[in-house]
Amino acid sequence: MTELALKKNAPPASSYLLDFWRKLQKNRMGLVGLGMLLSITLAAVFAPVISPYEPSSTADVGAGDIYQPPSAEHLFGTDDAGTDIFTNFIYGSRVSLTVGFFAAFISIVVGGVLGIVAGFFGGRWENFIMRFTDIMLVIPDLPLIVVVVALTKPSLLNIIFVIGLLGWTTTARVVRSQTLAVKSRKFVLRARAIGAGRGHIIWRHVLPLVMPILVVQAVLVVSLAVLNESTLAFLGLSDPTTVSWGQMLNYAFGRGAMSTGAWWALVAPGFGIVWVVLGLTLLGQGLEQVLNPRLDTHHLMPGRPNVGKEAEVQSGATKPVLEVRNLSIDYVSQGKAPAHAIENVSFSLKEGELLGLVGESGCGKTTLMLGLLRLLPQAGQIVNGSVFFGGKNLTMLTEEEMNAVRWSGISIIFQGAMNALNPVRTVGDQIGEAIIKHMPGYPKEKIQGRITELLDLVGIAASHKDSFPHQYSGGMRQRAMIAMALACNPSVVVADEPTTALDVMVQAQILELLAELRRKLGLAVIFVTHDLGVVAEMCDRVLVMYGGVTAEYADVDTVYNDPRHPYTQELLKAFPDLTKPKKKLSSIPGYPPRLDALPPGCRFAPRCPAVFERCRTEQPAIHAIPGGAEHVASCHLVEGVK
Amino acid sequence: MNAEKILEVRGLKKYFEVGRPSLFSRKKESVHAVDDVDLTLRRSEVIALVGESGCGKSTLALLLMGLEDPTDGTILFENGDITHLNDSQRKPLRRKIQMVFQDPYESLNPTQTIEEIVTEPLKVHGLGDAADRAERVRKAMEDAGLKPAGVYLKRYPHELSGGQRQRVVIASALVLEPEVIVADEPVSMLDVSIRAEVINLLADLRVTRQIAVIFITHDLGSVGFFADRVAVMYLGRIVEIGTMLEVLEQPRHPYTKALLSVIPVPNPRLRHERIILQGETPNPINLPSGCRFHPRCPVAVEKCKVDDPALFDLSSSHRAACLLIK
Repeated sequence: MTELALKKNAPPASSYLLDFWRKLQKNRMGLVGLGMLLSITLAAVFAPVISPYEPSSTADVGAGDIYQPPSAEHLFGTDDAGTDIFTNFIYGSRVSLTVGFFAAFISIVVGGVLGIVAGFFGGRWENFIMRFTDIMLVIPDLPLIVVVVALTKPSLLNIIFVIGLLGWTTTARVVRSQTLAVKSRKFVLRARAIGAGRGHIIWRHVLPLVMPILVVQAVLVVSLAVLNESTLAFLGLSDPTTVSWGQMLNYAFGRGAMSTGAWWALVAPGFGIVWVVLGLTLLGQGLEQVLNPRLDTHHLMPGRPNVGKEAEVQSGATKPVLEVRNLSIDYVSQGKAPAHAIENVSFSLKEGELLGLVGESGCGKTTLMLGLLRLLPQAGQIVNGSVFFGGKNLTMLTEEEMNAVRWSGISIIFQGAMNALNPVRTVGDQIGEAIIKHMPGYPKEKIQGRITELLDLVGIAASHKDSFPHQYSGGMRQRAMIAMALACNPSVVVADEPTTALDVMVQAQILELLAELRRKLGLAVIFVTHDLGVVAEMCDRVLVMYGGVTAEYADVDTVYNDPRHPYTQELLKAFPDLTKPKKKLSSIPGYPPRLDALPPGCRFAPRCPAVFERCRTEQPAIHAIPGGAEHVASCHLVEGVK
Repeated sequence: MNAEKILEVRGLKKYFEVGRPSLFSRKKESVHAVDDVDLTLRRSEVIALVGESGCGKSTLALLLMGLEDPTDGTILFENGDITHLNDSQRKPLRRKIQMVFQDPYESLNPTQTIEEIVTEPLKVHGLGDAADRAERVRKAMEDAGLKPAGVYLKRYPHELSGGQRQRVVIASALVLEPEVIVADEPVSMLDVSIRAEVINLLADLRVTRQIAVIFITHDLGSVGFFADRVAVMYLGRIVEIGTMLEVLEQPRHPYTKALLSVIPVPNPRLRHERIILQGETPNPINLPSGCRFHPRCPVAVEKCKVDDPALFDLSSSHRAACLLIK
């Protein structure tokens, strides 16, 4: 079943190059750049066909032909020698592009090799190469090029070599740092562990990952080389037997184009240079976006309020702090059917209650939590349901009203404390910022006291207030995150896998802290985790989620000792229990469903050991299980239970 | 457990010098990552190496793999000294000792297909012709639970789930037909429902292929059913070692007891008193005097600050390093 599904969902065998080309096609900036570059390259290649005259043909020139303005006969006018500027412009592109491409090729090869050697081998090699690179970088490029070209004969070949051999420094630096990054990745260690030699590792593992950067760098180096060539020619340092854009500028300047008002003699070559450099820059940026998708991340956007619905009123005599009713969230992207990330989820949270939200990665836990605070990515939309907090339906609030609830009403402890803290600001500073931002009226003079108080609450000595995150241990960073979440006295705290990356002992410390804070402050906590053990130790009630829907929701004792949904049962069997060593762990075959390929019936059906025909076609409703406690499960099997 | 010894470690030490000597300071400090470890692994045995981050368990793995050079001590493989080998001497050995890494998202090259990844070890070692390689790759992948292998061959790592990727890593280790697998936290990045299948897979390999496994983890809870022996490490040393049942049911070292007490039990009716150690593992640069564990030990007495306990025999298989045991 899974294999079949795999085959069906498999994207066509994608090669890296094809994939790359497909992405580039969607990148407008890159395409425009590529187009600009191709047009001028074609013009250069087909110069004899395109240009109306022979290059630099001055044979039939009379005095009246000098500095002729643009006309039908001379599209770009004529220059001081009476030659056709359009012809020179086209032929000039040959020189500029030749120098650009070949010089860049030399730069890229030299810079690439030196960068990889320095980054990969390190030690003395690296020291030598990088110090040499530093020296080269200190010397200003252009004067050096001018001096070297002036000393040697300014032939085309010399110019190519000089520009090429002096332009590799940035490439070497960029490639070295990328090599260092690749080298520290685990697959390089794995390659060493299987016995691969250095050459093999560089060729098969480092080079493919350095290549994207090298390509982007190449494009930028070409534009630099084109500029350098033009500058040299403008200064008169070019092969006098060839025409280039820089040389055209040089002649125009030197021979009175400015004083005679012959602007066209300057515009044509200038336009050529700008066209090529702009094309290359656009292409480089486009390539960078394609090859480095991290530049194009999804930003958390405030979700839109779910307006246009009758305002529901919160019911019940004992009002819970937070009540979620039939919440559904879709991910909408253009040209695709909406993906139902969350469907019909309900739960409530009383004061001081600790709710465990359990499920595998991709089951929608994080989407649900972000949905509560309306911090979903742009594509995520609340399509149904309500979230009651403090008597208000959060799905109906305006963005300003919602901002007042975030942090001071409901706050989040994020997972991965190192990434969630700003590395260049002190921890105390960052907690203070949270207070200032979310409690605008808070008296300034009391902030420092409040920070100390918060740190004390989570067990961090006040002396660490002015330390930076990297000076904290993993456990302390997580404590700091908790202090930040408590900064504005929220009544509900969402803890999103707060202990996942921590050692067992530190995890135990953090759990102890959360339990204590709950007692002390009467906090209601939603504890998001995939660790069933932690939930059993800590929580009052448990919501088990699978594929975006509620699988089972009950108090903790019922979930562990009388689970009704097969998923809950299987999940418990897969969890190692130290009280029963030697017991073989069972795993749940297959993988959770992808949101864009949900099974038609019950979402757990493809993996369920108790599956029967109906499960494959009909999605089960959420059934209440009689027996006193609030216990629901969405499974056809519990429907008949009375 | 009287099978032949396959891997033996004696008095193994690895000190890292910290702080590059620069123009201004020549002060040398060293991190005692692994400090005098003895360990014997027998054919098709599974030893779980347990400890918190910074206890030296991952460094020990790299030493066994020859990816780090030990400061002192010896490593024997099938009774031959392999402590200091150069690359060409070590290459034939690499076929026999393979490693599975923690993070299946990081340990696969994103630009290679699964086929390239699993075939690579064979190419590196120049084993077999194309047809032979394809057959070995298929067998290794199916032994690692990637069935049928053909479905996966042309895919890239990013198209697979975490559990599948870890199976690819295991397949690329199996393809060389190793005798020892060093698995460094192979399941800590995976979801609970998938952890069990990777652990079961490793447990099956010892039966089907007689592979001995060193299973490194910070989670004592996950070693329960398949480890033959458990070694608990703290600050570069083994503080307790014994059969799985000895360590899990009669722990003698206070550190082992604390570690066991904080493992969450998936049953709310069995909520129990936890021994929560304060602070975190100290910096292995400035080791505490006496017993390394004494600053965090809930039962430490005066002599613990002075005397450094050696491993003490509790039974033929069970040993613990604590002054209070005698």
